[in-house]
Amino acid sequence: MAKNNKDLMNSGRKQKFTVGQGILGLILVLFTIAVFLPIWIVFVGAFTNDAYITEHGFSLLPIGHFSSAGMSTVLNYGKKLATSYGITIFITVVGTFTGLFLMSMFAYSISRKNFRLSKFLSVYLLIPMLFNGGTLAGYIIFTKLYGLKDSLLLLIFPLSVTTMNVIILRTYIANSIPAELTEAARIDGANDYRTFFQIVLPLMKPSLAAVGFMMATAYWNDWQNALLFIDTDAKKPLQLLLIDIQKSIDFLLNSTNVPSSVLAAMGGSIPKYSCTMSTVVVVIGPIMVAYPFFQKYFVKGLTVGSVKG
Amino acid sequence: MIVKSSRKQRLQDPILLNTWKNRAHVIMALPAFLVLFLVMYVPMVGLILAFQKFSYSGSVFGGEWVGFENFKYLIQSKAIFQRATMNTIKYYVIFTALGTFLNVCLAIAIDQFMIKKMSKVMQTIMIVPVFISYAAVTFIVEAFMHGDHGLVNAVTNSNIQWYSGSARQYWPLILTLVKVWKDTGYGSVLYMSVLAGIDAELYEAAQIDGAGKWRQIIHITLPSLVPMITVMLLLSVGNIMHSDTGLFYQVTRDSGVLYATTQVIDSYVLHNVFKGTNWGYTAAASLFQSVVGLALMLFANWTVRKLHPEDALF
Repeated sequence: MAKNNKDLMNSGRKQKFTVGQGILGLILVLFTIAVFLPIWIVFVGAFTNDAYITEHGFSLLPIGHFSSAGMSTVLNYGKKLATSYGITIFITVVGTFTGLFLMSMFAYSISRKNFRLSKFLSVYLLIPMLFNGGTLAGYIIFTKLYGLKDSLLLLIFPLSVTTMNVIILRTYIANSIPAELTEAARIDGANDYRTFFQIVLPLMKPSLAAVGFMMATAYWNDWQNALLFIDTDAKKPLQLLLIDIQKSIDFLLNSTNVPSSVLAAMGGSIPKYSCTMSTVVVVIGPIMVAYPFFQKYFVKGLTVGSVKG
Repeated sequence: MIVKSSRKQRLQDPILLNTWKNRAHVIMALPAFLVLFLVMYVPMVGLILAFQKFSYSGSVFGGEWVGFENFKYLIQSKAIFQRATMNTIKYYVIFTALGTFLNVCLAIAIDQFMIKKMSKVMQTIMIVPVFISYAAVTFIVEAFMHGDHGLVNAVTNSNIQWYSGSARQYWPLILTLVKVWKDTGYGSVLYMSVLAGIDAELYEAAQIDGAGKWRQIIHITLPSLVPMITVMLLLSVGNIMHSDTGLFYQVTRDSGVLYATTQVIDSYVLHNVFKGTNWGYTAAASLFQSVVGLALMLFANWTVRKLHPEDALF
């Protein structure tokens, strides 16, 4: 497949650059710009003078109206932002690693051909994808039956094991890890645990990176579980903070936590538009920085996931 | 030889003995098994609320059994449930048709473009929006649509209050644009991986035979994408009753005046978890959604199985 791709590229290079290619390039560039614009607006908004936004609205190139007041206010006085950052990093890291660990063990078990229960376990895995209780039933059971209202466990476990991710991992094991290898390990005297942890798991790295990145994104971006279950300020993740400041930036910054001298320097009020956009930048920033490094993995992972083993 | 004898052994192995021999695998599968049980299986029980009269006092499941009364009420409530269902299906059709078309076009366009380094950079940018949460997207949409300092009003020199009821007819278009912006780049990745697998000799042979670019696309590129398109479409049928909750709940700010054109079943259920007074109706709506989803998913998988057995989910 990789070789074909290379051939295609080479044969492409031999052709001369035609008018058609020019038009195609232009369309692609325009589409890319159109996709990029909304992201650009957020960054520009975060660094525009607030008075300018109030008067003229958001704009693409507010030349001469640069101001870092919004960003510095948010970073210096948005104590809740730091707390929420901590919470989000915590659930993302713990959730992703726990989930990967549980799912890869499960995927390995059901991929064993001489394990008769694997049929049952595969069906067991599949049913939640076909039929589930939905938001309301989950809410009732988690809060009333488990009594877990306002618990971080509810931000971690519901997303940790998902059918599709287990299928991706199982397919990867079935297609990319030769059975001879596990067979050889067994002959050499390694037990099942050792075979998995020392031989199979290290070989699963590409699929773990792909699934792991997708999971991390899901954890980082999860707003629904937070909105449903979390009440205490100290436990609110970033996405819930964003939802709160939709109503008013006062939730993050109010005159009590910004010193009056600083407030006076900003003209007596908190720069609300640029502060709001600064918060958005701080929330979406890390994923946008991390994603290009994982791009090749998740393209691969996605392809693997589409082919059933 | 070895394979044969092990197969024989497997057939003779009674299930209990086999399980004992594989106890390591049982133990490794157990944690995920328990998580699934607690977060996916137990909550299914919550749906019995759909068959009970909701008790406003006392325990949640304490209401009397009323059979299908809640469903009857739902189906008769024209203004809410029927509208949400119609919206759900309408958006599914628009998003799926337009989405598939654009994904395929973009995949072909990137594949055909000669300057590979440049298309790689462009593709990277196009995928970014899929990683931005809807809670954040809400602010981006607001920067464009805000009545007083939104970019759209400024550029078109108009004064429309987009979030008010009088502008609700524009929201299907707004939500479609947001969806296209967010998912097109990512959606094309899958089709691109198919295109990368096409044998380059096919194109060379066509070129020698004098076929131009367009004919190559129509006779080689498109036909090779058809199986993947079919499978993706069929599998998406199982999700007709589900929507991107964030898009409909967050981006519209769950605004009541926009419900007529924007409320879908998922956002209706979420709204009711917080604000609803009668969870019996909400549970009935959830169950309806799940059962229809199940039926469609089974149908879709059955069809894929007939057409492309290797792509069936189960």
